[in-house]
Amino acid sequence: MDGSWITSAGIDIGTSTTKIIISRLKLVRASSALSLPRYEIAERQLLYASPIYQTPLKSWDEIDADRVWSIVSGELAKAGITKADLKSGAVIITGETATKANASSIVHLLSERSGDFVVATAGADLEGYLAGKGAGADRRSNQIRGAVANIDVGGGTANVAIFRRGKAIGTVTFHIGGRLIQLGERGNLLYISPSIRPWLNYRGYKLERGSSITFIDLKELCQQLCRSLLRYLSGNASSEQTYEAHTLLLGKPLNPLPDMEEWMVSGGIGKLMQDQAPVTLAETAIFQDIGPLLAHTLKECMNEYSLRWIEAEETVRATVIGAGMQSTEISGATVHLNAKLLPIRNLPVLKLDINEAMFHPPIELGHAVEETLRGSTSLFDSEASPPFALSVTGTFALNYVNLQQLAEQLHIRFIRYFPNSEVMVVICERDIAQALGQALQRRAGSGLQVICIDQIRVEHGDYIDLGEPISGMMIPVVVKTLAFSQRDGGMDS
Amino acid sequence: MIPSIELDQFVDRVMAELEKKLGSPDVSVTTESANSNAVTHSATDSGVVTIKVPQPRWEEGLAELIESTPARIGVWRTGTRPLTKEMLKFRCDHAAAIDSIYGEVNEKLLEQFGLFTVDTCYENTENYLRRPDMGRIITERGMDLIRESCKAKPQVQIVVSDGLSANAIDANLPDVYPSLLDSLTAYGLKVGTPFFVKGGRVAVMDHIGELLQPDVFVLLIGERPGLVSSKSMSAYLCYQPRKGTVESDRTVISNIHPGGTPPVEAGAYIGTLVHKMLEQKTSGIHLDL
Repeated sequence: MDGSWITSAGIDIGTSTTKIIISRLKLVRASSALSLPRYEIAERQLLYASPIYQTPLKSWDEIDADRVWSIVSGELAKAGITKADLKSGAVIITGETATKANASSIVHLLSERSGDFVVATAGADLEGYLAGKGAGADRRSNQIRGAVANIDVGGGTANVAIFRRGKAIGTVTFHIGGRLIQLGERGNLLYISPSIRPWLNYRGYKLERGSSITFIDLKELCQQLCRSLLRYLSGNASSEQTYEAHTLLLGKPLNPLPDMEEWMVSGGIGKLMQDQAPVTLAETAIFQDIGPLLAHTLKECMNEYSLRWIEAEETVRATVIGAGMQSTEISGATVHLNAKLLPIRNLPVLKLDINEAMFHPPIELGHAVEETLRGSTSLFDSEASPPFALSVTGTFALNYVNLQQLAEQLHIRFIRYFPNSEVMVVICERDIAQALGQALQRRAGSGLQVICIDQIRVEHGDYIDLGEPISGMMIPVVVKTLAFSQRDGGMDS
Repeated sequence: MIPSIELDQFVDRVMAELEKKLGSPDVSVTTESANSNAVTHSATDSGVVTIKVPQPRWEEGLAELIESTPARIGVWRTGTRPLTKEMLKFRCDHAAAIDSIYGEVNEKLLEQFGLFTVDTCYENTENYLRRPDMGRIITERGMDLIRESCKAKPQVQIVVSDGLSANAIDANLPDVYPSLLDSLTAYGLKVGTPFFVKGGRVAVMDHIGELLQPDVFVLLIGERPGLVSSKSMSAYLCYQPRKGTVESDRTVISNIHPGGTPPVEAGAYIGTLVHKMLEQKTSGIHLDL
């Protein structure tokens, strides 16, 4: 089955714009014919990119679900894609839109209507991460020694994702965006978002709806806003300046801040940076907001720092491309599956870290499994089936005896604490899933179905979506990670 | 002949002494909870990445490179020559490779898995190396023993052989074999009477195939030892191997050892391969994976 393609969609509903892309991912056997099979996504091709639509809103507080769906279905039709073709992908709701009253229900509705395995995602961390991948910051970081930051600035938020050697090492989000202040062509203020108020108050700006602002003052405001962000990211902020940046923060700060070598800007603001700089209020307010001016001020301000500015591969479509093309991973190809139970969406991850010392004798292993599963009864819905995906991590190679001990402990305690669950999902980091899966299934008999996959890295607090098997050997997986920050709470619904 | 384990320990002691005298500049990048009584004698066996370059210009990059290969890279030097320690390690690995050819499989292990032993016509190791053809034929006595002891026309016949590395069987059979049996049981397949062949070559499966007429043959055999690992095992699988079977009809999973193809997972996957062979009634290049 070499060279098979899966079609993947990305849908991004942002503060100001909505867009869709269709891509295809090529699966290629990555291991030799003499080894265990292992497939990789070798190529990610963009097939279709929709025009940029204005995000349809019913009111300040409500997204227009019907109009969003008509955009999505219209674009899928234009791309010549049916629901059955879509094997993977992600819907993401970004920026300020995510705070709208019906955001979560819309993203789930869209994911269910668009295809069997188009998943719902949300959360500023994931948004920044996907944008960074879409903009190419992860690949760029593989070419240089230092870390690369992508700053995705849209209408409502600036999502920063930092990559080093191809891996995300941190994300942080600020209330900075083109549509947070909206104005007419004479500088008359039409809207000031509550999310930027704390910063405006801190800086002593007294902006009110109905009053006016001059171009010079607005430019100065944009400069202060950009410097506040950039100073923080460059690591040069004094404690007072850090406090100032914190008034803009959405979620937790990034601590410690990694040393960065390069930065790039994606999102709508990244695109506007390529246009002519506005020099009057009328030129600024072409979209009735501060977007164009913010973009050019940001560009100017970035030159004041020692970090190297590089162009993002994608700007306004970075997030949607990240969601459509970069969110899917492929599990190992020697796994234990039950196709009837898939797909499974939105499974929270519970982590069990094992080490070799636990097995001599396996008493400590028993304690560790006991503690993890007993503790989880209060965290997860014990009526859910499955209640969670158990991620088994540890870097040593399990031998047959250890593997049986592990299976024994996992099985006993799982049925003790989750007697109503008919499915048990286990995710391993190392290539042991088929062996562990068969060892678990042998113990579980026919009452409990085991799904065991490997070569997927997940962390406690992540959510994972498991797709339908490809060639009966492996499954596409979307990991919705929260690992970049210590933010509390779930990520969607 | 010195058993390889003692040689390993000896070299480890020498190296430990040298390190004490010279002071080691080693930077351990990823330390694994190493089994205290395990003897580490090559990069892949230990799983520990050690940077030996004293002041690397880019430590992270070098660590990535070293981690990507079991080859001896980034081992540093003195003048134009390798370090004594590296030289000893190289010779130790070489010695281990030679030892595994001349070594013998642990009797207790064969007993543990209930494997009786038959010989090929190899006579002795020197002759085994010179005459591969003789390692493909079971002795008359062996044939009698097989006829007496084994279930004829089994669905799956499992045979274990030392091949070129007895070490490989000692190290991997306890993980691969039971995992394979579990996998076959899960698929509902029936296994014949397993046994051990001393001095076997891969094509010995054809001769045994003639005798027992199995549907699928699984031969677990020690591989030609190398400098990365002296205990690497292969699994050769064939649908109805008989006299005249060609090599392209065999399916192989190779490089089975803890630093290569993971043994426990390999055992489970071999079961899947057997299942597919029975379904498709073929093996080798004709098998659709």
